[in-house]
Amino acid sequence: MDKAQLLLSLAVAMFAIGMVGVIIRRNVLVMLMCMELMLNGVNLSLVTFAHQSGTTIGAVLVFLIFVVATAEIAIAIPIVLMLVKRKHTLDPDAYTDLKG
Amino acid sequence: MNEFLAGLEPLLMYVFAFCALVGSILVVALRQPMRVAMALISTMIFLGGVYGLLGVHFIAAFQVLIYVGAVMVFMVYVIMLLDPRDPALRGRFSPLMVPGIIGGLLLAWALVHAVHGLLGSATSTPARFGLKEFSVSFLNEYWLHFELTSVLLLAAVVASLAVIKGASGRDRG
Amino acid sequence: MQALTLIVILPLVGFLINGLAGNKLGQKAVAVIGCGLPIVSFAITVSMFMLLMQTGEARIETVYTWATFGKTSFEIALYFDRLSAVMTLIVTGIGSLIHIYSIGYMKEDASFARFFAYLNLFLFFMLLLVLGRSLLVMFVGWEGVGLASYLLIGFWFEDPVNAKAGKKAFITNRVGDAGFLLGMFLLYNTLGTLDLDRINAAFLAGPVAVSASLVGVFLFIGATGKSAQIPLHVWLPDAMAGPTPVSALIHAATMVTAGVYMIARLNGLYLHAPEASTLVAWVGAATAFFAATVAIVQTDIKKVLAYSTVSQLGFMFVALGVGAYGVAVFHLLTHAFFKACLFLGAGSVIHALSGEQDIRKMGGLAKRIPVTFWTFAIATGAIAGLPPLSGFFSKDEILWFALASEHGGSVALMAVMAVTALMTAFYMFRLLWLTFMGASRMEHEVEHHVHESPFSMTGVLMVLAALAAVGGFIPIPHFLEPIAPLPKTLESMHAFHVPLVGLAIAMGVAGLVAAAFVYRGDLALPKRLLERFSGLHALLSGKYFIDELYENLIHRPLLWISDKVFLNFGDRRLFDGTLNGMASLAKSSGGVLARVQTGSLHLYVLLVMIGSFLALVWSWAHG
Repeated sequence: MDKAQLLLSLAVAMFAIGMVGVIIRRNVLVMLMCMELMLNGVNLSLVTFAHQSGTTIGAVLVFLIFVVATAEIAIAIPIVLMLVKRKHTLDPDAYTDLKG
Repeated sequence: MNEFLAGLEPLLMYVFAFCALVGSILVVALRQPMRVAMALISTMIFLGGVYGLLGVHFIAAFQVLIYVGAVMVFMVYVIMLLDPRDPALRGRFSPLMVPGIIGGLLLAWALVHAVHGLLGSATSTPARFGLKEFSVSFLNEYWLHFELTSVLLLAAVVASLAVIKGASGRDRG
Repeated sequence: MQALTLIVILPLVGFLINGLAGNKLGQKAVAVIGCGLPIVSFAITVSMFMLLMQTGEARIETVYTWATFGKTSFEIALYFDRLSAVMTLIVTGIGSLIHIYSIGYMKEDASFARFFAYLNLFLFFMLLLVLGRSLLVMFVGWEGVGLASYLLIGFWFEDPVNAKAGKKAFITNRVGDAGFLLGMFLLYNTLGTLDLDRINAAFLAGPVAVSASLVGVFLFIGATGKSAQIPLHVWLPDAMAGPTPVSALIHAATMVTAGVYMIARLNGLYLHAPEASTLVAWVGAATAFFAATVAIVQTDIKKVLAYSTVSQLGFMFVALGVGAYGVAVFHLLTHAFFKACLFLGAGSVIHALSGEQDIRKMGGLAKRIPVTFWTFAIATGAIAGLPPLSGFFSKDEILWFALASEHGGSVALMAVMAVTALMTAFYMFRLLWLTFMGASRMEHEVEHHVHESPFSMTGVLMVLAALAAVGGFIPIPHFLEPIAPLPKTLESMHAFHVPLVGLAIAMGVAGLVAAAFVYRGDLALPKRLLERFSGLHALLSGKYFIDELYENLIHRPLLWISDKVFLNFGDRRLFDGTLNGMASLAKSSGGVLARVQTGSLHLYVLLVMIGSFLALVWSWAHG
């Protein structure tokens, strides 16, 4: 298979694996890292498309995703810290206060 | 030498892709969070390599610089901060493991099907762009996005300060 | 303002003034307004009557255009011809007299103003009824007098018996009104108009699309309700719960005659409705006969007169049924005179005896309240048909046409009416004897306070007795010939005309003699008769148990249906159950759906994954 096809398949695989990881793992930090994995998969697909088309918009989008991922982690980690301090556990099943 | 390297390119691509894949699986499968972080870092570095092979060297640099250098370092700090040997942790996997994996396979199949044939085979040689072209278009056409990112980062800084300060304030009170 | 409108409006003004401000005005002012306005109406009526005699043509006044749909319009219009003139004179004239009587009768009542307000309201609606040009206006008056009757029967509503009587009157009337409405609908559907003069003209001109008998029967059903004929007569005896002037005005002279007026007005229709006319005649005859039998055993002075009214109305309907419309109106007039006199006289007796109404506890009053006695006696003679009093002339005419009219007269009909006349004379003289003659059977306290009524009451009695005496000489049937021609009579019967007059006189005298004989002295004979015929007496006293029949046949099943079917099943289970069921369905489905919100992040992301997968698949299926 050619390059683009391979990379796209890899991107899809990384996205799916990341999503499965969020569902499967019981540690909230590991769940965050799996979400980073999903973002990387999306990044890869964007870069592949940008490489194919040759315009710079793809690269700009990739850069923006970097920034957003950074900002997201900057906020998510303190939130997780707060949660863990309150619940004294990293298991997200303990954070079910909002259940219906 | 150049021909050797040029011939090496597809092979390297496969190797890097395979290693990235293995790294992702390890992210999901390893028990200890520190090892998971290491696996993720390696995945990201291999992805950086893929970007380099594609010719977008600056993006590869950004990948390693920002993702590995900032995000993952932060994650490692936090992992070291929080005690993983939590007695309440009842094992690696959540109760939704089987439906999760099945769903993941389905989703992967659906996505592959969706992007299959989306791109034609390597068509015309696309115009390679380097850092110069990127910066010019980034700061000319997409200046609004640029400004907005700075706003976003400012908001992130303020927010994280607020979260931490609010929490500590409540503890003291 | 036009004269006819003024006649109708003045009592309404009286109602509004006395009704809204009566309590503040004081008895004198209320009496002046309450009696003065009807008297003015009477004066205007007399002047309109003179005008009618001069010009000889009917007068139509349009008061107000009520509703217009496209080309058709409904107007409130008033119509004054000879028949309306007679009716309006009766209503305003006798109405005014009874208003004056009420000043004395209701003097001690706390609701003096309310009484006069309701009486004026009644006059307003009754005038609307008799002066209305279209059936629609007449129906408004029809319903309105029913309302006024309800208000006045239940005047002393603190006693629930009175309130029940008022309700019974109104509901029974409404049952009849259903038939009236059906008749109206049929007429409007075929003829496109509800104007009475136009309806008559249409039926007289030629065959009409609708069966005249069908319409006639429907309208007659309404008349049975209003004029207390079988089977809707049950409300009139109970209506005696109201004050006596009410019984005199509404349930003797005017409201109950509305049915008679309606059929007389529509004579063009009924001339072409032989089946309906036969029904009218025989229902009238049956009512007259049965009411007379019940009146013989009644012990309340007002109840005797009530059944007597039902019986006399039966006479009027017999006359209508055989086509002698003018004769029926003639009897209506004479009946208004003597029955009003009788009722007001009964009121005077009740007033004298401080409220006693049981004739078994009366007696020997002739010398002590002479004016009341003599007026009562004259009126009794009139109703019995003794010449030359008014009742003789009208009743004799009815008997004659019942025998000889080509429009449905027969020997059988005449025979029934003759027997009824005999019974009428008997029970009326029985009433006279038991009330006024013989030894006193009054309670001691009551006897002490017996006194003649004030002049406002006795004066009216004298006027009415005089009218009852000489009213027979007013040639009403001849007067109404242009509007309601008298039917042709069979040649074969002409020989029996004079003997019939003799028979009528004989019936009256026989009744007088029999009553005097039975109820003389110490009343030992009636007691023995009571024991001999106790079964028959029970049947008659129980009014043939018709009220009980209605109670069991209609009332109880209706209540049962309302309770079990409509309340229990329909309302509670069906409606409330459905609503409650929907609410609990929403609640339980909400409870089921809320199970998704477990609070577990893993589940939420799994649902996102499944959702995106499904979205992708869906997008393929739909291109």
